[in-house]
Amino acid sequence: MSDWLENHLPKAVLAPSFIAVLIFVYGFIAWTGWVSFTRSRLLPKYEIEGIIQYERLFASPRWDTAMNNLLLFGALFIVISMVLGLLLAILLDQQIRTEGVIRTIYLYPMALSMIVTGTAWKWILNPGLGIEAMVRGWGFESFTFDWLVNPDYAIYTVVLAGVWQSSGFVMALFLAGLRSVDEEIIKAAQVDGIPTWRIYSAIIIPSMAPIFLSAFIVLAHLAIKSFDLVIALTGGGPGYATDLPATYMYAMAFSRGDIGQAASSAMVMMGVVFAIVVPYLYSELRPRND
Amino acid sequence: MAIVAKTSRFGKYGRPTLAWVVGLFFFFPIFWMVLTSFKTDADAVKPEHLIFFKPTFDNYINMTENYDYWRFAKNSVITAVMATVFTLFVGIPCAYAMAFNPSRATKDVLMWMLSTKMLPAAAVLYPMTFITKSAGLFDTHFLIILVLSLINMPIVIWMLFTYFKEIPKDIIEAGQMDGANTWGEIKEILIPLAWGGIASTALLCFIFCWNEAYWTVRLTTTDAATLSKLIEGNRAPEGLFFGRLSAVSAAAVGPIVVLGWFCQKQLVQGLTFGAVK
Repeated sequence: MSDWLENHLPKAVLAPSFIAVLIFVYGFIAWTGWVSFTRSRLLPKYEIEGIIQYERLFASPRWDTAMNNLLLFGALFIVISMVLGLLLAILLDQQIRTEGVIRTIYLYPMALSMIVTGTAWKWILNPGLGIEAMVRGWGFESFTFDWLVNPDYAIYTVVLAGVWQSSGFVMALFLAGLRSVDEEIIKAAQVDGIPTWRIYSAIIIPSMAPIFLSAFIVLAHLAIKSFDLVIALTGGGPGYATDLPATYMYAMAFSRGDIGQAASSAMVMMGVVFAIVVPYLYSELRPRND
Repeated sequence: MAIVAKTSRFGKYGRPTLAWVVGLFFFFPIFWMVLTSFKTDADAVKPEHLIFFKPTFDNYINMTENYDYWRFAKNSVITAVMATVFTLFVGIPCAYAMAFNPSRATKDVLMWMLSTKMLPAAAVLYPMTFITKSAGLFDTHFLIILVLSLINMPIVIWMLFTYFKEIPKDIIEAGQMDGANTWGEIKEILIPLAWGGIASTALLCFIFCWNEAYWTVRLTTTDAATLSKLIEGNRAPEGLFFGRLSAVSAAAVGPIVVLGWFCQKQLVQGLTFGAVK
């Protein structure tokens, strides 16, 4: 009995969650996929009508804005978070005595809900209240910082808050990576008189490649799923200047009563996530014959 | 190892100062929220009262009257704690089984579990609201606890697995020799040995549950509504009630800030998914 239990324990423990995932994740995705081919509006319909929803989606200027925003936001968010994270990790790696405390402070934004910290960000970025008012109060009357309400720049405030939230996390990952680089190689390079920046760019950073990849995957899927950030800061506005696919989908499903559009946009979003994540998962699975 | 540039005055004082200045930037929004929470709504929007103002506790006193804070806080505590307990209750045996009785499929299963976490929640949001409403589960603690547990399960199992894997199998096998059954092994040997890792995982799970907004906002109205819902539901028009809203926000992140401060090691370990040991 105990042998049988021992051998089948993994399966027995996994079975309930497996079934739950099958229904709640794949079942619902299948439902969404089905509905995306129908004429559903306020209520779901189930007669397949072809790719009409996708045609509407790609013809929609709002979706176009959302996808462009995703590209711009995603690229800036990922690149800035990684660069800042790496620089901060190198800075903290300089044997600073209070490292533990500083690391915790850097990580706080990640530990706190963006929905909540968004309150502070809205205040800081608000032209009439935050930084603009503060600098003007110091006597610089012509200073303007109205990104939050400027349709052309509002997306950059989302980048700003996103970087604030994630760069501490990237820093912690890179810090762990810096600590795991082989000491002997670095010592040898130092003995050879190789300048420090060359040691970083030619030895340390290349050997941290797997961490860069993990950080990229985490950041990329955060970017695609970003919802809290936009909702907390701009609510997608001004107009729909800061819409992202996730907020587009949400607006269609819950305030515009257009389930067909919501479903087709959700399917496109999922396609994008898959395109990024599947190759990664695949490469992770490959070398398992060790 | 760290490459430390030759000791100079900059190295000794400049770098720590720089690190702290950056830290101030990171902490500024949180600090600002707390500061604003002690201002009246009128003072909060006046630039001349930016730093100098008469502190007041009115916002915190009013909070319970205007926003019914305690009910939301109670829901947050109940759902986050219950979901964490339940996730660990399922996750520990699961990770135990995979770490000590691995099969060829173990890594695939782990990857598959994690892959569900990567899918955009948007794709299942509508059916979820639709079905929970017709099943009468909408806006119940049960539903929120279940959803929070399910969305955090993959990460919890993944993290526990990485911690458990580091425990020598001999120790577990020695327990088997002594006649301990599976539950005995988990309770008497595994949990005490992996206590640090379990604590980090639990803290991470609790934080994620506490912060969860996507599902809790969508799947509740009043009975099971958490602090995320309270804040999301009170996005006042520009500049209104900033003092009051800051107080509610500060009271919502306060527990995590304090908890994180006292469990720094677990916080860092947890948030980096065990990458920082």
